[in-house]
Amino acid sequence: MSRSWLIRRILSSLAVLAAVLVLNFLLFRIMPGDAVSTIIDPNFSPEAKARLRELYGLDKPMLEQFFIYIKQMLTFSFGLSFLSRKPVWDELFSRLPSTLILMSLSMIFSAALGIWLGIKAAVKRGTLLERAVLRLGAVTASFPGFFVQLVLIMLFARIFPIFPLRGTLSVPPPTGIFAYLCDYAMHMALPVFSLTLMGFGGWALFVRNMMVRALSEDYIIMARARGLSESRVIYGHAFRAILPPILTILLMSVPGLVSGAVITETVFSLYGVGTFLLEAVSGHDYPSAGAAFYLLALITVVCNLLADIVYGMVDPRVRIEGRNQ
Amino acid sequence: MSGLLRRKSVIAFIMICIVGFAGPAFIGGHPHDAVGAPFARPIWWNAKLSSTVKINLDEKGAKLEWTKLPPAIFSLTGEIKADPNSAVSIIWRTPKGEYKLAGMTGRPSYWLNMDGRDMIFKQSLGLPLIGKSVEYLFPCTGKYSLSIDGASAADLTLSLPGARHGLLGTDQRGRDVFTMFIYGIRTSLIVGICATIIACVLGLGFGLAAGYVGGMTDALIMRSVDILLSIPTLPILMVLAGIWGKGLWQLVLILSIFSWMGTARSVRSMVLTVRESPWVEGLRALGAKRGYILWRHLVPETAPIMLANLALGVPGAILSEAGLAFLGLSDPRLISWGRMLHEAHSFGAFTEGAWWLLLPPGIGVVAVCLIFMDIGRYLEEKIDPRLGGGRP
Repeated sequence: MSRSWLIRRILSSLAVLAAVLVLNFLLFRIMPGDAVSTIIDPNFSPEAKARLRELYGLDKPMLEQFFIYIKQMLTFSFGLSFLSRKPVWDELFSRLPSTLILMSLSMIFSAALGIWLGIKAAVKRGTLLERAVLRLGAVTASFPGFFVQLVLIMLFARIFPIFPLRGTLSVPPPTGIFAYLCDYAMHMALPVFSLTLMGFGGWALFVRNMMVRALSEDYIIMARARGLSESRVIYGHAFRAILPPILTILLMSVPGLVSGAVITETVFSLYGVGTFLLEAVSGHDYPSAGAAFYLLALITVVCNLLADIVYGMVDPRVRIEGRNQ
Repeated sequence: MSGLLRRKSVIAFIMICIVGFAGPAFIGGHPHDAVGAPFARPIWWNAKLSSTVKINLDEKGAKLEWTKLPPAIFSLTGEIKADPNSAVSIIWRTPKGEYKLAGMTGRPSYWLNMDGRDMIFKQSLGLPLIGKSVEYLFPCTGKYSLSIDGASAADLTLSLPGARHGLLGTDQRGRDVFTMFIYGIRTSLIVGICATIIACVLGLGFGLAAGYVGGMTDALIMRSVDILLSIPTLPILMVLAGIWGKGLWQLVLILSIFSWMGTARSVRSMVLTVRESPWVEGLRALGAKRGYILWRHLVPETAPIMLANLALGVPGAILSEAGLAFLGLSDPRLISWGRMLHEAHSFGAFTEGAWWLLLPPGIGVVAVCLIFMDIGRYLEEKIDPRLGGGRP
């Protein structure tokens, strides 16, 4: 992978991050009044208000506030939560694993299932399987995820009580590492399953379209003429050629995945960053809301950058372009 | 245009518009009024469940034949007038025994407000405090009677809200789900269509500016489009809805601010190709001003894209609105499908197994989205066949 390309990608990620930082700063400061006037009682004495403003640094000029804020964000010191009076970062950090596991597992499963079905549909054109995949892909895209999840809870947690209704762990959590993991898996099963269900259709549609186009290329005829096995032709040649665009879509699906995770966590009451954001927003806990938003955006930016780097490793054109420059 | 009216989704769209905007006028009462027992099932669900019974009775009492399962609530309200020296008692006779609901003496008139769910009421009847009193007051099918002894006049209402009510049952507050569903159509349509129109106008403006002016403007707009597209939208929407307010129009504005990017991209790419075409060059050679070219020639040229974008953007806006309302970030007074799902989720639809709170709003959202997507695809293909054919 060429260095200049990598640097360009990192710079563009940094630009997104800067935009997120500015947006996050502005969001909480362009509202009527200032951040403190919404949390303090109007009956406070003027001195108390002034002291609170000083405490949160709101008596300083805007530009200075901005630099302090940037420093805070980059060092992950988000201050104290208005609600729990504990450092925001501690709570966010304890909630991060569930969110990341939920996101990555559902991404892997939906992409794997979608790609597999898409390839099958492209190879077996005109069959029932292809039509089913096309229909499913179109329909699942227009279903609100939370509705599907609510129906799944109703079915598999209420009518057939296989899975737990809510939460990340049973109360109290089981002792023993194996029982603990089993309990965790049972609680995560429905969320991951539902996100996979919502996600694989789009993947299948996309992969099917790309594969159909790739399979009609001349090099596929050439590969067949060389007497390669059918699976070698499909996976080694056609699929290999469409791998870079697949990675692009993977990259573009991350923001949607974060949004999906936020809603999923709320539906299943998981102990994650999304529920934290919702609690903070509905409880007017601005430091926590800002921090949770920043963290979710940061996850997106980092995932995008990772996908970019992998893209550079997979797509030979990027490597060659770099060598020529 | 006649082809448009033959399309099923267009007819469905017109129908839901009529039902959504005119329907509330035909439904009596306010959607927030409690009309039945909480979590009553739909009326067509199980014929064995009782439907709502309301009897106005005077001092002679009342007789009724009960053929169903117990009602959801037993309540007796009203006024009894009597001679202060004589005792008044109200007796509820069931086929398996009788209950003395009240015994009173010493006053010329009594106000009654009995509710079967009331602890004191259960205690005075000697019923178990935990559990439903209606199961004892209605132990089986048969003849029941309520008699009032010693009263000179009475004006009472015996109301027995049934365990089933209305077309789609009731929610946790006893509101009619069907009424709320009809009101929800309007909210979804208003938010979806208004937010998309504003987003399309924004997208058109930015797209035209980026495509026609070019240079720094183009770079600036397209970079912000890229950045906005790579930030997860829902968290921003949540924060905005939490800070700026949860009203209908705030929601419309918030949704439109974060959904113009796609339109801007397609308008820009369209303008970029049209800008270099000979006829625009000719217009410029004739001395046409930039505003004239933009307004009279480029904007009409983008009409097909805009129309299709409009129809295809509505599902996204409706889904986002439903999502925000589902998270509880909407005005609680405003009935919307997302709000209904939120209340079903947070107020025990699962413990009650209340599927009728879940399915109507969810299916409503899906149906409206599918209708708009179909219209959008149809418009794309009809107005500009090049668009329809080229799409995978």
